[in-house]
Amino acid sequence: MATTAPAGPAGRLARRARLLHHLRILRVIAGVDFKLKYSGSALGYVWSVIKPLAIFTTLYLVFAKVFRLGEISQYYPLALLIGIVLYTFFTDATTLGMLSIVSRESLLRKMSFPRLIIPVSVTLGAAITFGVNLLVVTAFLAWNQIPPRLNWLLLVPLLLQFYVFTLGVSLILATLFVRFRDIGQVWELAAQLILYATPIIYPIGFLPEWARTIAFLSPLTQILQDVRAIVLYQDLAPNRITVADAFDSSAGRLLPLGITIGIFVVGLFIFRRQEPWFAERV
Amino acid sequence: MTTPAVEVIGVSKSFRLPHQQTTTLKQHFLHPFSRTSYETQRALDDVSFAVPPGEFFGIIGPNGSGKSTLLKILGGIYRTDSGTVRIDGLLSPFIELGVGFNMELNARDNIRVNGTLLGLSRRQLDDRFDDIIGFAELERFVDQRLKNFSSGMLLRLAYSIAIQVEFDILLLDEVLAVGDESFQAKCFATFEAMREAGKTVIFVSHDLDAVERFCDRALLLRGGRMRAMGAPNEVIADYRDRVAAGSPS
Repeated sequence: MATTAPAGPAGRLARRARLLHHLRILRVIAGVDFKLKYSGSALGYVWSVIKPLAIFTTLYLVFAKVFRLGEISQYYPLALLIGIVLYTFFTDATTLGMLSIVSRESLLRKMSFPRLIIPVSVTLGAAITFGVNLLVVTAFLAWNQIPPRLNWLLLVPLLLQFYVFTLGVSLILATLFVRFRDIGQVWELAAQLILYATPIIYPIGFLPEWARTIAFLSPLTQILQDVRAIVLYQDLAPNRITVADAFDSSAGRLLPLGITIGIFVVGLFIFRRQEPWFAERV
Repeated sequence: MTTPAVEVIGVSKSFRLPHQQTTTLKQHFLHPFSRTSYETQRALDDVSFAVPPGEFFGIIGPNGSGKSTLLKILGGIYRTDSGTVRIDGLLSPFIELGVGFNMELNARDNIRVNGTLLGLSRRQLDDRFDDIIGFAELERFVDQRLKNFSSGMLLRLAYSIAIQVEFDILLLDEVLAVGDESFQAKCFATFEAMREAGKTVIFVSHDLDAVERFCDRALLLRGGRMRAMGAPNEVIADYRDRVAAGSPS
């Protein structure tokens, strides 16, 4: 249907122009999404920081004080905060991503453009909020006099993996949601279960060996434990429980990364396959 | 012979309309074998035509005859079941009274979104912004949310965006439907300008007088099939005869 670009320099130019065009669409759509999210609210962007902090405070009071988990390690509050911030990004981005196609019905029915831009835009928007929350985490780290180290740079590929995983899940949910509206209910419940199935509130060391192995199949657990190991436990070997402790073979250690890539590829594949029919099915 | 700007070869399109609109997982898994009953609605049936560059091509027909579906296929929004569509040139769509506005956003942001989707760079947008809002005569409402706009204002804004972007081919669906006299006059003036500039226009309308006045050729669709194609006055006469005769198709 679209005219195919000729090969050669002209074709390259056309491809470049098309890519630029798509990036412009991404920027504008992300910009207005941001504006819409906080339009009419008095505190605006502050809410994106208040939300994880409020959840953190509640969970901290209940689990660190009432259940006395705070007594096991001085790092408990920071480990909890990191877990909450990562979890908030994951659930926010996937929930927005799931709704993103259906909620833009009127645009989809009148304009032709790569639909992939929409879930990418909303997950990137959530990633910006996540970035702001990471600044808050950094402030807490500074308060606790934990100095940054050079190998914090390892966080960059780790957070990239986190985004790819989140985008992959979002693409699967967005595609399914066009066909099955009760995916919305399913995912709301799943998000609650994930909060408890991931070692966010409790230390993973509390789990028996076999349960740890299962927990580490989730890229969320692997990423969370890696972030905690890098930021908090560099000099605290006993607290440092990462995917390497759950699997003996190196193949096992790469399993969560493999699952991340697998989910992303599956998400991209089913999204691209269903994309031509979104306009008539939303 | 020049390459047609728009070429449609044997295009058919059906919609599967489930009798019960909501599909839930429960229905899907509890009754995996009892397929939800579908009604297949054949929206287009073996439609073929070619529009040479610079032609004003009218499409007429009663409601539900497949006109908008055809435009959506030309605009790359729906995929065909069978057949081929070739578009040679940049295309600007104006479909079902609009370009996909977000009613929660103000006019300024909607112009930015839709202008960008239609291929304008940030700089081109800045340059043309005043022209777009000026043509639509909405200067006073530029920071108002579209949900407060009347349907006539929305139409003016959408049309204004659709004609201010770069295009060779313009798809126009019922652009004269809700506009007032003065806006219609303005539309007619832009049609003349587009004709001068050699633009190709696919014009869907119930305004048969406008079709007769501006189109070089016309196509009559009924029930998704081509019933007549040729000189506008003949196709329109054919259509009026059928309506007068009360013929179902």
